[in-house]
Amino acid sequence: MIIEDTLPVLLSRLDFAFITSMHILWTPVTIGMSWLLFFLEVAWLKTGNEHWYRLQRFFEKLFIVNFGAGVATGVTMEMAFGILYGPFSQAVGPFFGNILGFETITAFMYEAGFIGLMIFGWGKIGKGMHAFSTFNVALSSSLSAMWILVANGWMQSPTGIVLKNGLFQVTNWWTAIFNPNFNIGFPHMWIATVELSLFFFAAVSAWFILKNRHADLFTKLLKPTLLALIIITPLQIFIGDELGREVAHDQPTSLAAMEGHFHTYLPDGKPNTNWNLIAIPDVSAGKNLFSIQIPHVLSLLETHTWDGVVTGMDHFAPNDRPNVWVPFYAFRVMVAIGFFLFLMALWGNWLRLRGKLTAEHLRKNPLFLRLLVFSGFLPYLAVWTGWWTREIGRQPWVVYNLMRTWQGVSHMGVTAESFWLIGYIIFEFMVWGGAWYFFTRVIQKGPDMNSPVIGSSDQDAHSSGGGMAKPAFAKPTMNKQH
Amino acid sequence: MNEIFRIHSTLGTFWWILLGVFFVIYIVLDGADLGAGVFSLLLNNENDRAAVMSSMAGTWDANETWLVVAGGVIFGAFPLVYGATFNYLMIPLMFALWGIISRAVAFEFHVLAKSSRKFWGFMFGFGSLIAALFAGIALGATLLGFSMTTGNAQGIQVANDPFVNTVPHFSGDALSFLSAFSVWTGIAALIAGGLAGTLYLCARFEQNDPIYLKAHKAATLFSFLALAAVVITLIWSYAIMPDAAKWTGSGWFGWLILLIAILISAYKMMTNHAAHRDFSALLWCGAIVVFMWGGMWATNFPYIIPQTWTISAGANPANDLAILTLFMTGFVPVMITYNIYQIWVFRKRITHLAGYESH
Repeated sequence: MIIEDTLPVLLSRLDFAFITSMHILWTPVTIGMSWLLFFLEVAWLKTGNEHWYRLQRFFEKLFIVNFGAGVATGVTMEMAFGILYGPFSQAVGPFFGNILGFETITAFMYEAGFIGLMIFGWGKIGKGMHAFSTFNVALSSSLSAMWILVANGWMQSPTGIVLKNGLFQVTNWWTAIFNPNFNIGFPHMWIATVELSLFFFAAVSAWFILKNRHADLFTKLLKPTLLALIIITPLQIFIGDELGREVAHDQPTSLAAMEGHFHTYLPDGKPNTNWNLIAIPDVSAGKNLFSIQIPHVLSLLETHTWDGVVTGMDHFAPNDRPNVWVPFYAFRVMVAIGFFLFLMALWGNWLRLRGKLTAEHLRKNPLFLRLLVFSGFLPYLAVWTGWWTREIGRQPWVVYNLMRTWQGVSHMGVTAESFWLIGYIIFEFMVWGGAWYFFTRVIQKGPDMNSPVIGSSDQDAHSSGGGMAKPAFAKPTMNKQH
Repeated sequence: MNEIFRIHSTLGTFWWILLGVFFVIYIVLDGADLGAGVFSLLLNNENDRAAVMSSMAGTWDANETWLVVAGGVIFGAFPLVYGATFNYLMIPLMFALWGIISRAVAFEFHVLAKSSRKFWGFMFGFGSLIAALFAGIALGATLLGFSMTTGNAQGIQVANDPFVNTVPHFSGDALSFLSAFSVWTGIAALIAGGLAGTLYLCARFEQNDPIYLKAHKAATLFSFLALAAVVITLIWSYAIMPDAAKWTGSGWFGWLILLIAILISAYKMMTNHAAHRDFSALLWCGAIVVFMWGGMWATNFPYIIPQTWTISAGANPANDLAILTLFMTGFVPVMITYNIYQIWVFRKRITHLAGYESH
């Protein structure tokens, strides 16, 4: 057994995996939806059409519920590197620490400086300033994702550094920042946040149309959403394929695990080009106990040639091999979801082309709407499985080929590690359960179609609240829901 | 080579000062928010608690983020300190983070909740209390320093491990942070937070509002408690911290001036508070924090963690510090500017009715 699978090291991995997995539930909506909210706000300001305003304010409520959870779990992340992986943090500090420092100063704080204005600034600052605040939240959260992917991409393909005196010292900042994995990994993650948020829009819209509540309003939203998805979903598949080839090039052990590819060559000496649809891998025996194989597909996928050589697991020492089960199946789930979502986008736009994307038509054949509601959950699973593939595929290294995971683990015992895990399971589930409960509350309540539009002339009279003294500070988003 | 060392030491000291500034901003801003949260536990009306929450609704996230910025700067400029110290502080930071998580989600959930409203109101106050208490404990523990070794942190030995005998890691155990002094600094943090929080609420609520009246009374009580806590902490620190010997060394005159500045600020804070000049009282309270934190930072010099990590030993290599300085320094005033703008937008006094507004 490799050291990474012994109890204290395995627990430290679980500790970190759990808080990261729970954190990534929130950030995609913050990153992706802030752009969508900005577009809705601009659409409202440009066209003066109140519908965009109502939709913006409605989705903003969901955004707020999500945002608090994202920040709360994000503060943990910033500290967890040092707490759980102290020696790792020290060794990678010259590069990784700097990048995390960049992230807090140019992104985390940037976002915090405008989120208050975006959420509570309605009516307190001008419309233009408000739209500008929304834009800044969108830009800053995307910047945040960029820096995090720089740091994580570098762990996958560490370039531009030299290991000296136990520290990874930077020799070239540009090659370290624009490391090969980041260049494709960041677009893949960023597009994922947009795709997830668009499906969030689509799923909520589908639910309202199904329930025949504000059906026309949400059909109005569904059209541009599906149009955006017909571009985003195939683009994501294309970038995903590029990333796969990048991993094949820079991280062959991870690729071999993702594809359950044990033998570089077949017994007759020819390259093994078989792609495993499903398999029962056995890492210790170095082979698949069972698999359904399609010849040439693996070479086509990874080398774009008919029978190019793809390095298999047998090329690497047993203690350099990652687990195969998780990357193999997680990867397949992610890819299947990617294609399914592409088909949903195709279907929706096909309906639109035939003039059937109206509330009336859609309700007559509710299968599309039901599948669309279901599709709202799938991107979350795809993000999870994608990251599990990425992180478990990199094992047993924390910095690929340079620092083993056990070399980075903090000085802590099994008791402390278990305490962390159990505590975080309780708190993160409280956050998760709470957020989902309040998502459903907000969705069930539906958009507020009655309170006056911010900045309109009857707004002041209305917000005095029926004889109550007018509070100088109101929470405009939560107004008038008595 | 000498040049490089000089640059390294200059840049390290620069980031050490900036780190102190970020911590001070964090303590002044979020200390007030956390303290107001602790005070909210004393309010027995859920709508009043909601009013306290809406008083900081637009700014709490940015205020809390200064802690993240401080953390990011430690990681970026002093990663060796970051990796060892956070490892040492695992337990107190874990609790503080749970407090921060509870408080953060309570902000978003409380306004939407109906049947669970009391629960989230409690989580807001209790989360604030836990965060302040354990942040104080972590600070006290840090001041006492910790033990380190250069072996593998998990005690795993292999041949030719490039990471051993280079960088020292934390080597104590999970409860090393716990001492009478660190528990005391936790309690002192609660007292200081209570003072800052109640002064802040005085500045945020209309002067005839019931919440204002309660907070005003509590602030008077907290200011006496805080004065006592400061005296106890100073005497205790002088008794146990080797670096505190500076206070009575050849530079005693400077330290005496600092002490007088603290006492004058405390006096000004209390008189302004009594005269209902709430914002001035809050600013003088901030001045006390600035003087005390500055004094602590100066006492520790050249250490960043007393008797454990010096600034130069814990800092990144010169090249990386230079990059951090080059790329990030310009953002600091920008960051401060948009924070001031955001606070300014939400400057108006409110009443307890803001708590009803959220429903």
